[in-house]
Amino acid sequence: MTNNGPMDAVEDIIVCRDVHKWYGNFHALRGVTTTVQKGEVVVIIGPSGSGKSTFIRTINRLEQHQRGDIVVDGIELTNDIRNIDAIRRDVGMVFQSFNLFPHLTVQRNITLAPTKVRKMPSHEADAVAMELLERVGIPEQADKYPAQLSGGQQQRVAIARALAMQPNIMLFDEPTSALDPEMIKEVLEVMRELAESQMTILAVSHELGFAREVADRIVMFDEGQIVEDLPPDEFFNNPRHERVKHFLSQIL
Amino acid sequence: MSTITEPTTTQLPPPRSETGLVGWLRANLFSSGFNTVLTVVVGALAGWALWFGLLWLFVDSDFTVIKTLGGLLLIGQYNSEQACGEARNCFWRPQVALLLVTLMLGMSWAVAGGGLTKRIAILVTVVVALFAFLPYSLERMGWDVRLLLVANVPALLLGWALARYTALGTWRWVAILAVVAFLLTLVLLRGLPGVPGLQPVSLLYWGGLMLNLLLAVAGIVVSFPIGIALALGRRSRLPVVKLLCVVFIEVFRGVPLITLLFMSQVLVPLAFPENFPLDSLLRAAIIITLFSAAYTAENIRGGLQALHPGQAEAARALGLPGWQTTLLISLPQAIRNVIPAIVGQFIALFKDTSLVYIIGMLDIVELSRKFATSHVENGMLPYLDDVHEVFIFLAVVFWIFCFGMSYVSGRIERHLGVGER
Ligand SMILES: Nc1ncnc2c1ncn2[C@@H]1O[C@H](COP(=O)(O)OP(=O)(O)OP(=O)(O)O)[C@@H](O)[C@H]1O
Ligand SMILES: [Mg+2]
Repeated sequence: MTNNGPMDAVEDIIVCRDVHKWYGNFHALRGVTTTVQKGEVVVIIGPSGSGKSTFIRTINRLEQHQRGDIVVDGIELTNDIRNIDAIRRDVGMVFQSFNLFPHLTVQRNITLAPTKVRKMPSHEADAVAMELLERVGIPEQADKYPAQLSGGQQQRVAIARALAMQPNIMLFDEPTSALDPEMIKEVLEVMRELAESQMTILAVSHELGFAREVADRIVMFDEGQIVEDLPPDEFFNNPRHERVKHFLSQIL
Repeated sequence: MSTITEPTTTQLPPPRSETGLVGWLRANLFSSGFNTVLTVVVGALAGWALWFGLLWLFVDSDFTVIKTLGGLLLIGQYNSEQACGEARNCFWRPQVALLLVTLMLGMSWAVAGGGLTKRIAILVTVVVALFAFLPYSLERMGWDVRLLLVANVPALLLGWALARYTALGTWRWVAILAVVAFLLTLVLLRGLPGVPGLQPVSLLYWGGLMLNLLLAVAGIVVSFPIGIALALGRRSRLPVVKLLCVVFIEVFRGVPLITLLFMSQVLVPLAFPENFPLDSLLRAAIIITLFSAAYTAENIRGGLQALHPGQAEAARALGLPGWQTTLLISLPQAIRNVIPAIVGQFIALFKDTSLVYIIGMLDIVELSRKFATSHVENGMLPYLDDVHEVFIFLAVVFWIFCFGMSYVSGRIERHLGVGER
């Protein structure tokens, strides 16, 4: 990612400068500085409580940072409501617990935001939904309710729902850690396909096989700070910090 | 060491002692010495009560008093001389209101496409129409009254056809038309000055079951949206809105309804000029509605609080603005989760309508009580022993309506269970 020619200038799609976040007195993010380029796939790992979720949630302003700057797709995150709405339209998010809307069908889960926020005509939204369901491999489930689907299918619907807003960036917060092993595979498959389509992806995940294969960079958090940021090969074979080695030894 | 069993497809029947009546009795009623004693004692008490109950019901009771009171219990003094004039020709007005109800039932049946709605619609209509063939007369029950009762059948079919074959066949239209029908009912009952046949009938004379039902329907329909607004207001981030809602809710929940009704009659005339335009019945209706709204608000707030925070988060992450998140994601789920509590509140409201006796209105309960005391006091009426029958009849009437609501709510819950978390 660093050897683009001058004509093919890299575009920094996410820029974080010295970001701090407190929950009450608890200092959850302690000066996070990083940059993500368009099309890059960044996998975030780190021990529990290290601030991975907090960081990823500040990027679409589900959490508010208190110091430092975050610029997403050219828009600075401030308290300006219009900016926040613009960012959220541009950034899709997938949660650990799926968070599908249980009272709506799969189809309606996907078309809701495009019709209400983007004012897309409903027949068009329906077509987009079907297309996305094909893409994540479950077009036959369109008329079911979320509770009637397996966990893996639900998570794939959640991905389709986020994609329906045609975001430039996708955030994943441990998308597979609530799933049984055989379902993890089907979700990772969809994510892999997404990564290959030049989507910018920020994913908290401890699926190291996936990270090794798909990520451009692996970022490790500890105690609210980034302690390592390397391409997968170097990260696994030649980490610079003791803490990374220690962490890897624990989860491998 | 374990015993390894070969996989088998043959199913064994359950042990004999756990099936059938004998098994059930043994497991549930006679499982120990103490339980056996308990079963025998309770059984004896129940049998004794049942015996005397049935004895009274089939030997001593005389329900002719209900027949005589009939029209009075249904509409109170609405068709009396003071209310309606010498001709006493007002009975058709509540009857036409009833036709509007069956019309709406017919439309609902067509829109719902059968099932429970269909069964309720047909049951109600048939029961109402059968009244036309009772061998005795309700209040001045001439052929016109009987005809209007039978007319409920064509009204039902007309409603069904309307919804089936015109553009009116959607729930949205049914809801709109139901509100129109209700307003029409009020106009019809109140009358229009100068229109022949529609001479105004003072609210003072509205009574009987009709009054209970009108108050309940208006109260339910109006209190529900107010309750939602209060629940949202109480969760608002604007301190003033929040404070107002909290104060409103806590005042109405903290004071007995009967006290509020007294206050509406005693305090309002003090605070406002004598010719305050709100009739005392209207004031009572407003109080009952607001009282119910305060409870509904708390039920809905409970439902909102119980929602997984991830729901609103997911909606916000998709770019839905706050009000749409509330309207499309939070509220529908919250309301669905508290349907039993809300219906419980509606049932309470229906029963509370009998408190309008405080302001001197003769609802179905107060009419019965008046009847009982008046004939005890001066022996005017010939049914000296018939008070029991009247109150038992009242209990049955209230039970039918309340159980009906509760049954329908159960069915709705099960129906909505499809998309449960
Ligand atoms: N809403 C909150 N209020 C108070 N403290 C919070 C809140 N959310 C998170 N924290 C705290 O902030 C720290 C970082 O939390 P975060 O959820 O970002 O960790 P994480 O790295 O995602 O951990 P995990 O792997 O367990 O998901 C934790 O110590 C957590 O207790
Ligand atoms: Mg987390």
